[in-house]
Amino acid sequence: MATRKRSGSGSKRHLKEKVVQIYESFFRGEDLTTDNPTFWDEFFLLKPKIPQLEAEIHKLSVEQLLNMKESINLLVTQCIEMLGQEHHIRLVYALQTLSALIITMYQRVIQDSNLNVKVVLIGTENADTKMQKLFEHCSTILSGDVPDSLKSMVIKLLLVIATGMDNIDDNPLVEYLMLNSLFEPLIQLLCTSTERQQHGYDVVMLLMFLVNYKKEESANPYIVKLSILDDELALNGYGQVITAALNDFVMSTFGGMQGGSGGGGWLSSLTSMVGGIFLTSDDTQPVVRGQRNSGGEEGMLLALYEAAHLNRNFMTTLAHSSAAASSAPPSPPATLPPHQNPPNLSQIQALDNEQPTNLLVTFFQYCSIVMADTRSEASINKCSLCFITLTCIVEEQFANSIMHDQNLTFKVQLYRLPMRHRKIVPEEPPSQPLASTLIDLLVEFTMCHLLKKFPGDLYSLCLGVLVRLLSYQKRARVRLARDWRPLWAALIALLKFLVANDTALLRRHNIFQMAQQVVNIFNIFITFGDTFLPTPASYDQLYYELIRMHQVFDNLFYMALRYSTGDGEFKAEALRLANCLVNVRAIIQHFTPKIDSWLALQNLSTPTEDQILEVVRKNYDSLILKLQEGLEGYERYSERRHRELVAREARAAAAAARAHGPRLHAAASAAACALSHYSAIA
Amino acid sequence: MSMLEDVPVHGSRSEVRGAKAPTHQRNLSLDFRHVTGAGGPPAGCGHQRNRSLDSVLQRIPEDMTPTSPEGAPLRIPIEVPAPRLALPPEVPAGSDDSGIHTPPDGADEERPQPPAAARSRESLDSGNPEDTERPPDPPDTIVDPPTKSEVSAADTSKNKDFLLRLFESKLFDMSMAISYLFNSKEPGVQTYLANKLFSFPHDDVDFYLPQLATMYIEMGDVADVLRPYLVHRCKQSAEFSLRLAWLLTAFGGDAKRSKATKLRDSILAEEIRPAARRGHHRSQSDASALRLATPTARHLGDLASGRAFDNGCLCGEQCSCGAPRLAPQTQFLSSLTNIGRRLAGVADKERRNGRLRAELATLDLNLPARVWLPLHQRPHYVLRIPPHAAAVLNSKDKAPYIMYVEVLETDGHEPLPPRLLPPAPPAPHSPPIRHTKSEENLVPEWPVWSLYSALDDVDAGDCWSHDDEELSTQYANRAPAPDSLSQVSAISALSTSSCGSRESVAVGAGEVRRRLADATAAPPPNAFKHDPADPSATALKESWESKLARMRSSSPYGALAGWRLLGCIVKVGDDLRQEMLAAQLLRRLQAVWAQERVPLKLHPYEILCLDKECGLIQPVLNSVSLHQIKKQSGKTLRAWLELEHGPPNSEGFLRAQNNFVESAAAYALTSYLLQLKDRHNGNILLDSAGHIIHIDFGFIFSISPKNLGFESSPFKLTQEFVEVMDGEQSDMFQYFKILILRGLIAARKHCDQIIHIVELMRMGGQLSCLRSSSAVSSLRARFHPGRTEPQLQTLVDRLVRDALHSLSTRLYDNYQYYTNGIL
Repeated sequence: MATRKRSGSGSKRHLKEKVVQIYESFFRGEDLTTDNPTFWDEFFLLKPKIPQLEAEIHKLSVEQLLNMKESINLLVTQCIEMLGQEHHIRLVYALQTLSALIITMYQRVIQDSNLNVKVVLIGTENADTKMQKLFEHCSTILSGDVPDSLKSMVIKLLLVIATGMDNIDDNPLVEYLMLNSLFEPLIQLLCTSTERQQHGYDVVMLLMFLVNYKKEESANPYIVKLSILDDELALNGYGQVITAALNDFVMSTFGGMQGGSGGGGWLSSLTSMVGGIFLTSDDTQPVVRGQRNSGGEEGMLLALYEAAHLNRNFMTTLAHSSAAASSAPPSPPATLPPHQNPPNLSQIQALDNEQPTNLLVTFFQYCSIVMADTRSEASINKCSLCFITLTCIVEEQFANSIMHDQNLTFKVQLYRLPMRHRKIVPEEPPSQPLASTLIDLLVEFTMCHLLKKFPGDLYSLCLGVLVRLLSYQKRARVRLARDWRPLWAALIALLKFLVANDTALLRRHNIFQMAQQVVNIFNIFITFGDTFLPTPASYDQLYYELIRMHQVFDNLFYMALRYSTGDGEFKAEALRLANCLVNVRAIIQHFTPKIDSWLALQNLSTPTEDQILEVVRKNYDSLILKLQEGLEGYERYSERRHRELVAREARAAAAAARAHGPRLHAAASAAACALSHYSAIA
Repeated sequence: MSMLEDVPVHGSRSEVRGAKAPTHQRNLSLDFRHVTGAGGPPAGCGHQRNRSLDSVLQRIPEDMTPTSPEGAPLRIPIEVPAPRLALPPEVPAGSDDSGIHTPPDGADEERPQPPAAARSRESLDSGNPEDTERPPDPPDTIVDPPTKSEVSAADTSKNKDFLLRLFESKLFDMSMAISYLFNSKEPGVQTYLANKLFSFPHDDVDFYLPQLATMYIEMGDVADVLRPYLVHRCKQSAEFSLRLAWLLTAFGGDAKRSKATKLRDSILAEEIRPAARRGHHRSQSDASALRLATPTARHLGDLASGRAFDNGCLCGEQCSCGAPRLAPQTQFLSSLTNIGRRLAGVADKERRNGRLRAELATLDLNLPARVWLPLHQRPHYVLRIPPHAAAVLNSKDKAPYIMYVEVLETDGHEPLPPRLLPPAPPAPHSPPIRHTKSEENLVPEWPVWSLYSALDDVDAGDCWSHDDEELSTQYANRAPAPDSLSQVSAISALSTSSCGSRESVAVGAGEVRRRLADATAAPPPNAFKHDPADPSATALKESWESKLARMRSSSPYGALAGWRLLGCIVKVGDDLRQEMLAAQLLRRLQAVWAQERVPLKLHPYEILCLDKECGLIQPVLNSVSLHQIKKQSGKTLRAWLELEHGPPNSEGFLRAQNNFVESAAAYALTSYLLQLKDRHNGNILLDSAGHIIHIDFGFIFSISPKNLGFESSPFKLTQEFVEVMDGEQSDMFQYFKILILRGLIAARKHCDQIIHIVELMRMGGQLSCLRSSSAVSSLRARFHPGRTEPQLQTLVDRLVRDALHSLSTRLYDNYQYYTNGIL
């Protein structure tokens, strides 16, 4: 007591030095507790000096560290003990000290992989009990009626642990998070709006990381619990956090594009956007601009993927448009990682106040931006993740019924790349069911990446999404009132590209499989169009397009024949491709002579579309089509194929989270808040 | 009010009367016991009542000073000699119609009396065969009730005696009670009548609640005598408390600390609560302990909490924990009106609609809760508000919206069902996963995997089973269980069979296109297309039955026995007090016509004013506005009816046409009497049976939109209407005119029921429609009390002719078209 008094009355300078002195003597290996039994109680009343503490640890060599491990174990143990303290100052200081210790140790481990975090920090004896105690305390704080800043510190600590290593599977401390599940208290934080605004982003990130721990081998309780979560509030909360994060990204990319509603306002905002974004030269892509505040949104994308992949109930919240974002806008520091500070966020939110957010709408917009760029490895990964998330979504009955609901229409502004052969005409997006928007998105992607560096895997994921969507429409007999011609045009463009570049592409992609996928989509339209096309006229248009573009199909057929006659490795697949072209070829061969003879009869050389359509309509009956089985079948999505990708993205997210390193500062400021809070109470 | 009650049971009127006799007729003491036994009013009320009886009887110098409620014998009715009754002699014993018809006339003290002979002839001539069987109205010489001035001025004991007998007569109903409460300045009479309220059925009193509230606000002396009754009812029922509080808010003036605001504030502050029952001390402390244990009322109003309407009461059957009784409900309704307020700031209709759904989705997360929709009479809880069923209605600068609410009707304090996720939509025909057999599509390098997908295939139909292969492989690494093996073989059997047929399957292109043409063949022409700019059209066109079935099947609560679907329109920014008055008047008119057996059909709907500028409206089911019909179908009214009901001479069409005429006549007459304005086609609905239904009574009596004075015609009767009635020379058109005449005669007979409501609501000048000094007198004039029936007939002919040839109706429709786009 006497020393405390003295230190309290002494100068601040002296006090500062005191804790640093303790660090120094502690890391010299001195035993400070023998002559002072209340040492720890007093130690945790001293405001920790994190930079000095870190510096002390970094000074130690690996050998010294290993020699020091018992002392460090003791310090960690004491920190954990203090977390059960009623005394909030000790609690906060202990949390800070513990976070700093763990962060520094992880840093040392990355430098020298011989070090074992677990051994140095908690030792081998009673490790289980210690960690159990730690997480019990965490759980108590998270679910307790304590200040938000304290909860925030605990979540940050957990994030520090979860992101300590690039590959979460190698992180020995996470194992204890599996043994002591914190799922319920974390999920609880998503249920109430205030706590969600405070912690939502971190909680969702944390859950995402934990779900990715040893996905294949161990029993991960977070996977199980997330997959059966049926608390609508929590699911909504989870969705809203993601929506907010993706929306921020979308908004910062689109600028003032969204939200302008009145005709004049919309146009002017669009022209300004054209000036601001689209007329930029090729190397300053908007996507690049978007990366300024990326960092967080890949983690959110992964979180969305995990929820869409694991939890069917999550589909109910996909289209749950929520006004919460607009009626009580999540404060930017809560939903964005603290380092982000997009310039005119508040302005954009004000602009968009009228449009309630909706996860699917936001996600489609986000996809349209991400899919515009397939140049770097990183953007291809992000794009793939978008596609497999879409795959998961379009496999779900519930999501499909929402997306095809004629009464649930949205005006979704998708991002479109300016390209040489097309101008971006300012037009207000039509109000349509979300499935139609999704098709627009897929069309856009298909048209935009027929490049030398052909992202074939993305194309095949894209076609997969399309097949699933059409399959649902065929089975449920849903007729989207839309113009299907852009889709057919895009698919034909893809085929044309494949045929034109076969030799180059064959080195890296199986173009026969892809071409077969495309032709089978046409087969669905040809033989099952009656189940989902909106009008008979659209069926006529399909024939018109096929006949008009017959050259492409002819070339494709000849290419398939060419590869199937030799003894090449693609023989079987080329043959299969040729086989499934049977209906398209039948159509072309059936109608072309009829049209030619009609033209000759009419003495016409340039017939109008209507005239051709008329001929087509008259000659359907003599054409027999082959019904092919399993056209709309698909393999259910399985993560196995994409595990690599998911793991890679998780690693990237962890690295990003660590690299941005806001935690210490956040923790420190949080601690300051907590302290002022308590001193105010006192 | 008893009249109103009797209306639907014309046939069994005498029985009803017989049943009522003990309570209404006998004497006060029985009445009191009845009330005490049933409701258990607090002792104070009983005392008050005795006093009031005293004060009335003090001035009657007879041996009638009762000592206790039970002490009063069957004195008055018996002692009074029959001729002095203000009723025809046959009434006490009588059981025929005339008895029931007299009381309104009996209360007709203000009406300029037409000659008795003329009146009886009227009823004989009115064309209703029923009327001829009835004895003529009692001669005016016998019916000589005291007038207003007599009551206040002449204090003769004879008069008192007479008044008391009237009050005690079984024919004295709520309508008369209100009239006397309003007109009498005599404290004794007021007190007596206020206490008499205890003996009226609650429904009868509740009909006149707007009038009681108005009197409470405007008439200090009446407020004092009404207070015990109102407090008593408030204690009994949370619903009544809120209803009263809303009315007091809606009609209350600006006075800061008036009696009315005090009463309202104490209701809303929950100071008027049911008295806790025995041992409440203990239970209260128990409860408060409980409340401390569970986080409770602090969520009230926080829509993001998921428990915004949860008052934290855990008491079950009878709440004794002191949890707020009204707060959840007020929170619920203010959430609804706040949505409307926010929507008004959203620019276009489509965005509004999106916003509405988003807001409702947020609100819905807090349901089920112990809140109710005050438009629905039976006790219920709100289970769910499916956001996607809601729609914003057509309005330029305000944003009324319609929503459909799933409720659970309950008898008692049943536990609320937990919040459930909506069920999966019905699975489409075949599972999506590719069959193993179609080898041409198999991906060669994953042969084992395709077996797995076949396994998934098996339960793919069950959408909510968590058959995630990740999980299953991860946890069990299961070898295929015997049953799944058999399923695999079943599948392979299936696939081989279809495999065999595969080669032979072919289809004609013409066949495909024909099927497509058939399937997409023009939808029935009376189906509405989805129009993003008019989201309410499709929501309203769908028949109630199909909506009900659809919503029930898509609701997680649809299987509950008490599940009901209710519609509700939330209006913010519009003064609904006039709507409410209009609805009340429509109900009176409807009752009068039913009583007089005039087949005129009105469709009054429930209105609830929450305050001066917002409220709830019960939507008219199975109806669309004429505007929407024209816009969506582009057809005339007659063509539309033929489309919906069949060709002109079909039974369906004739029935619809009859309904059309009867309702059009009813609304024509009502329009004339109440001076309904703003009658554009958006405000006139047509229901699925062909009835015309008018909505939006924002402009009645002396006001019209922007006071343009456009609509000078007596009511709206367009050529289109006439066309539906087969033209001006047709029988149907004659019938239309006859109906108006008969309706007018019937309404005139009972016009005081209408007039006194209007007169009373004029107090305080809250309703702009009644602000004009001549509002009441011109209303009275429109009943044409002095005219003979032939004169009335001429009048009706003229009104119809004026309406038909009115230039202003066409002008107004054009005006609406150019300003608001309403066809």
